[in-house]
Amino acid sequence: MNRFINFYLLSYSVGSLKREKYKNIFVFLVMSLLVALLASTFFLSNAMKSEYNTLIDTYPDIVLQNQKAGVNSTIASSIADKVLLLDGVQNSEARVYGSYYFNRADRKLNIVGINMFAPSLSPFINILMKKYSLDDGQMLVSRGAKALLSKYYYKEYFNFVKSDGSLKKMQIVGTFQENNKLPQPNTLVMLKSDARKIFDYKEGEARDIAIDVANADEVAFIARKIEQLYPSMKVILKEDLRVKYENIYNLRSGFFLTIFIIAFFTFFIIIYDKLSGLNSEKRREIGVLKAIGWRVGDVLNAKLYEGAILSLSAYLTGIFLAFVYVYLLDAPLLKNIFLNNYNLLKNYTINFSVDYETLALLFFLSVPIYIAATVIPSWKIATLDADEVMR
Amino acid sequence: MIELLNVSKEYEGGVKALDGITLSFGEGEVVVLKGMSGSGKSSMLSLIAGLSKPTEGEVIVDTKHISKLADHFATGFRRENIGMIFQKYNLIADLSVKENILLPLVPLNLKGGELEKRLSKELKQFNLLDKKDTQVKKLSGGEQQRCAIARANINNPKIILADEPTANLDEKLSLEFIESLREMKSEKRTIIISTHDPLFFDLDFVDRVIEVRHGKVL
Ligand SMILES: Nc1ncnc2c1ncn2[C@@H]1O[C@H](COP(=O)(O)OP(=O)(O)O)[C@@H](O)[C@H]1O
Ligand SMILES: [Mg+2]
Repeated sequence: MNRFINFYLLSYSVGSLKREKYKNIFVFLVMSLLVALLASTFFLSNAMKSEYNTLIDTYPDIVLQNQKAGVNSTIASSIADKVLLLDGVQNSEARVYGSYYFNRADRKLNIVGINMFAPSLSPFINILMKKYSLDDGQMLVSRGAKALLSKYYYKEYFNFVKSDGSLKKMQIVGTFQENNKLPQPNTLVMLKSDARKIFDYKEGEARDIAIDVANADEVAFIARKIEQLYPSMKVILKEDLRVKYENIYNLRSGFFLTIFIIAFFTFFIIIYDKLSGLNSEKRREIGVLKAIGWRVGDVLNAKLYEGAILSLSAYLTGIFLAFVYVYLLDAPLLKNIFLNNYNLLKNYTINFSVDYETLALLFFLSVPIYIAATVIPSWKIATLDADEVMR
Repeated sequence: MIELLNVSKEYEGGVKALDGITLSFGEGEVVVLKGMSGSGKSSMLSLIAGLSKPTEGEVIVDTKHISKLADHFATGFRRENIGMIFQKYNLIADLSVKENILLPLVPLNLKGGELEKRLSKELKQFNLLDKKDTQVKKLSGGEQQRCAIARANINNPKIILADEPTANLDEKLSLEFIESLREMKSEKRTIIISTHDPLFFDLDFVDRVIEVRHGKVL
C-alpha cells in the first residue's frame, strides 16, 4: 500500500483523460504551444537584456563629445587631463576609435586606438594590452576581422587608404577572440597615433573623452559641472544609454504583448469552458462514484491528478520545446525580430542559461490555474446530494 | 439492524416523498418494497444509503445515526456497509467491466493481490469472466446488470439496496437476476429491493413484502 499516491486513482484519472482523448489532446497542444511561445520569447528577451546590461556595464560613466554645427567633431585630448582634475573623477581617457569602410568587402572595420603607457577605460582592452605590446604600424585583429581580411588576401598586413589617397600599411601581429564585452564585429586594435593617421585626426585630437567617476551617486553632479565647463559640448551618461536601449527593447516587447494577450485569451477560453460546468454525463458519473462510496476528497483527488497530468505534461513539453528552439536552434525568426535595427548586440549568440523566473512565472500561470479549473466544477457537483445528481 | 424512526422527506418545491415512516429491517432479511412509481421507494433507499438526509426523523443502522452523519462519514459508512444496484445500472459506459467492478475499491488503495482476488470472485460469481475487458457500453442489458451487481458486491457489504433492478430486463434476465439475489442472501447479506415487478412478490427467499403508497407504509 502506498499512502501518498493511490495508483488506482491515478489510473482512473488517466482513463478519464483517455475517454475525452480528442478534447484533451487539443488542450495539451494549445497549452504546450502557448508555453513554448511565451517561454521562448521570455528566454530570449531576458538573455538579451542581461547581455546588453553586461555590455553597458563596461561603458564609461560619462562621455564628452565636441559638436560643430550640431555635428560630432574631434575634441582636444588635453581636455581629458583637465577633467581628471575635477573632484570625484577617477579616470579619463581621450579615445581614438571609429569605423573604417573597407570598400572591397563592403564592410566596416572597427578601429580602437590604445596607448601602451596609460590604461584604457575599457576592461577588455586592458586585458589585451597585458598580453601584447604594440609598436607603430602594428595592430591586433579580432577573429572576425582576421577572417574577413584573409578573404581578401590580407594575411600579414592591411593597407588603409587615408583621406589624401595615400596608403597606411599596418602589420597584423596577433588575433583575439571577440566576446560579449566587445560586441562590435571586425575589430582592429592599434596605437592611437596610428589610428589618428587613418582617421585624419591632428596630433592632440580625439574622438571623445571617456570619464569614470569614483562614486556612482556623483555622476549626475559631475556631468553638470562638465557641462558648465564646456557648454558647447555634449555630455552622454551611461545610465541614459541604458534607458535608451531599454526603451528600444520595451518597444519590441510591446509587439510581443499583443501575442501574449492572444495567448492568454486562448488559455482563458479553455479555462472558461472548463469552469462553465460539466455535462450531464459527467455529473452523473460523480453521483455514481459517491453512491458507491467515493468521498468528496476521492473525487477531487481524481480530478486533481487529471488536471495535473495534462497541465504538467503540457507545461514540460512547452518548456522543452522552448529550450530546443532558443538554445539549440538559436531562435530563428524570433531572434531577427528582436535584433532588427538593434545594433548594440551585433554579433550576439545566445548564451545558455536557465531562466528560473520565466520557468516559475509560466508554471504558476498555467498548471495551478488549469488544475483549479478542472477541480472546481467537480467539487461543486461532488458536494451536492448524490441522489440529486444521479436523477 | 436498520431502523427508520418517523422519517419524512420533503423535496424542494414541497413534494413530500416520505411521510412519517417507521420501519425496521432485520439482519440477513430480504425485503421487497413495492409500490407505484412516485410512491417514495427510491427516496427511502437513498436515506438508508446515507445519500440524502431526511427532513424529519432518524435513520439508524447498527446503532449508527446515518441521518446525522456529515457527508464525509456518511460516505465512509456507505463504502463499508452498502452495495447499491440501480435501475439504469449507473455504470460508466466507456470503462471496461473489470474497471467498473473495481471502482468502489479505488479509494481504498488495497494491495494488488487483494484486489485481484476479490475481482475474480465477482467475475466468477456473476459469470463475467470472458467479458472482463469489454467496454460496458458493448454489453447486453443482462450483462450490464450483472456487472452492476458485481460492483455492488465487491466491497463485501452487509446491506444490498436494489432500486428497480429488473425494470430494464426481460423476464428471463429478471429471473436470472433473482437467482443472483438468492445467492447473495446465502452470503448473509441484508437485501432491500424496491420494485413494482410482480416477479418479486411471492419468492420463497423473500421474507417480507412492504407496500409503499404516497410516502406511507401500508
Ligand atoms: N430530488 C428530488 N427533487 C424533487 N422531487 C423529488 C426528488 N426525488 C424524488 N422526488 C419526488 O418525490 C416523489 C417520490 O419519488 P421517488 O422516491 O423517486 O419514488 P419511487 O422511487 O417510488 O418512484 C416523487 O413525486 C418524485 O417526483
Ligand atoms: Mg424510484
